[in-house]
Amino acid sequence: MMAGGLWRILGRAAIFGTLCGLTFVVCFPLIWALSTSLKPKSEIFATPPTLIPRAATFENYAALVTGRPQYFQSGGQQVDTGSTPAQFFTRWFFNSIIVTAGSTLISIVVSTLAAYSLTRFRYWGRGVVPYFSLLGYMVPSIIFVFPLFLLMVRLNLTDTLLSLVLGYVCITLPFCMWLMWAFMRSIPIEIEEAALVDGATRLQVFRDVVLPTALPGIIAAAIFAMIVSWNDYLFGRVFLNSLDNLTLTVGVMLFFEGTHVDWGLLMAACVLMTVPMALLFMALQRHLVAGFGAGAVKG
Amino acid sequence: MQVTIEDINKSFGSVRVLTNVSLHFPSRKFVTLLGPSGCGKTTLLRMIAGLETVDSGTIRFGDQVVNRLAPRDRNIAMVFQSYALYPQMTVRQNLGYGLRVRGIPKEARAEAIERVGRILEIDHLLDRRPAQLSGGQRQRVALGRAMVRSPDIFLMDEPLSNLDARLRIAMRAELRRFHLDLNATTIYVTHDQLEAMTMSDYIAVLDAGIVQQFGTPAAVYAAPANLFVAGFIGNPPMNLLPCRVALCNGSLFAVDEDIKIEIAQFHGQVAPEQEVVLGIRPQDLALTTETGASTASGRVWVVELVGSEKLVDVDFGNKRRLIVQTRADSFVREEDAVRVRIPPERVHLFDRQTGRRIASKSSSPSGGSTH
Repeated sequence: MMAGGLWRILGRAAIFGTLCGLTFVVCFPLIWALSTSLKPKSEIFATPPTLIPRAATFENYAALVTGRPQYFQSGGQQVDTGSTPAQFFTRWFFNSIIVTAGSTLISIVVSTLAAYSLTRFRYWGRGVVPYFSLLGYMVPSIIFVFPLFLLMVRLNLTDTLLSLVLGYVCITLPFCMWLMWAFMRSIPIEIEEAALVDGATRLQVFRDVVLPTALPGIIAAAIFAMIVSWNDYLFGRVFLNSLDNLTLTVGVMLFFEGTHVDWGLLMAACVLMTVPMALLFMALQRHLVAGFGAGAVKG
Repeated sequence: MQVTIEDINKSFGSVRVLTNVSLHFPSRKFVTLLGPSGCGKTTLLRMIAGLETVDSGTIRFGDQVVNRLAPRDRNIAMVFQSYALYPQMTVRQNLGYGLRVRGIPKEARAEAIERVGRILEIDHLLDRRPAQLSGGQRQRVALGRAMVRSPDIFLMDEPLSNLDARLRIAMRAELRRFHLDLNATTIYVTHDQLEAMTMSDYIAVLDAGIVQQFGTPAAVYAAPANLFVAGFIGNPPMNLLPCRVALCNGSLFAVDEDIKIEIAQFHGQVAPEQEVVLGIRPQDLALTTETGASTASGRVWVVELVGSEKLVDVDFGNKRRLIVQTRADSFVREEDAVRVRIPPERVHLFDRQTGRRIASKSSSPSGGSTH
């Protein structure tokens, strides 16, 4: 009896230990980035390296948020180094938010309406559209970038945030539509008919009955669109030129330029880049599981 | 509000669902559309609701043709088989939705919801969501949602089929009571002939998109218009035995090998050598020890006890079997040799070619109308 209990405790301890170890390995890059971003410059390359900063400082974050060129001082005298990436950080952050919000909004609105149409109205091709929409994901996205770039040149949209919004919509919309289509199919049509009989118009039915029921699917699709838009590097690199218009992913790469790489600043930028998505995930993960689950089982 | 349907046709692609359906639903009556699955009864109901278009023919509410009217302009309420409650709304919001979209003020809405909640005894559930309710409670909410607007016409699409057997029987009586209290025209769709018999003022029997018979439950049961109705209405179903008409010593008989039943009441309606189907309800048959006319001897094939009765399946050879309903305490076992009395006055006759009922001279002409 005692031995059995002991073994069980040991077994559990082993499982927990293994899981903790794995979690640590997976999270280590993020932990290291966080640690580095909090270290003063002198400590970053200290030997032996420290995981927990001895003298934690927020000066890297302050530099990014205020755009103050802090590390270009020499002997108490400020050296004018021209524009530095840190000065543009907040600008890029807002650019990323605008592009992500714009492309997500367009993707969600269009995909929801398209999925509703595909599942509720009868017309030629409604059965094959959802499947063909996934074909685009079978080729690497770099294949789309150059034709889209040429298109943007034609439309006179290069180096604008709008070009990026449209580019991301091209990438996210097909999957969002497929996801919403799978989700909408699982919504019984009777509840819409019940609302019609109850006295609602088509639009009221869509707003009051379909949208609330489809909310988990919409959230899942929105998270997908946001992740793709927020994390993309390729489209931003190709479509954008001027420092003012860059998004975070492209902009952060500029921290590597020149001979001097400010690791503390770079890591702080990375941490700040991660925070919005991490918060979003934590807030919505319950819906995310429900959304993907419903689509998978009944779709 | 009376509902009149004239020459309705409906096809889905190449599949013909309804053919020349004409029916009259009298005002404030409970009319059931009864038929097997795929007979078109739900399609007909959905056309009355405005959820399905009409290929040809007219639907009238009172004097108004409603063919092209949207569901919300028909002042109807519908109870769906799956209840179709709005999953993200509470019971209160479910009940009030129809009133809200019609712009009824909040106070009047709350009052109506409370009233219906009390009547249906769901007032303690008003703040729950459909997922937190049992099947019976959902059923009541669906009913309440239909009642709360006081519509002209109630449409019900197999509302009891998702309930367990006991609850179904209880709800059957309640639905009938609601109908009497609300006093609105009710059109009810079911494939369960027992539901149709117990609840309806009138029954319309449908098969293959065609109305087979329309009449009161008693009339449809007493004088089924054709072989389909005869086999569909009644539990257990009517025994049907193919026979030939024979003239013996000036009397008419329905004959099938050793079974010979006198059918004097059909004199003049059938001719000798005519191929007919003899119908007799299990309740009208009796096990007997007599050997006289109108009896047949066979062997008990199987005995089923159904509570207060026994169903005795008697085999007469050549795959001819009749079900006899007897009292539960009658002593009969499988393989017993028995005699069955077939009372001539209870016999129904059908033409074997057309399947139509052959009227007897004694039967009243107002038994029910066929279409």
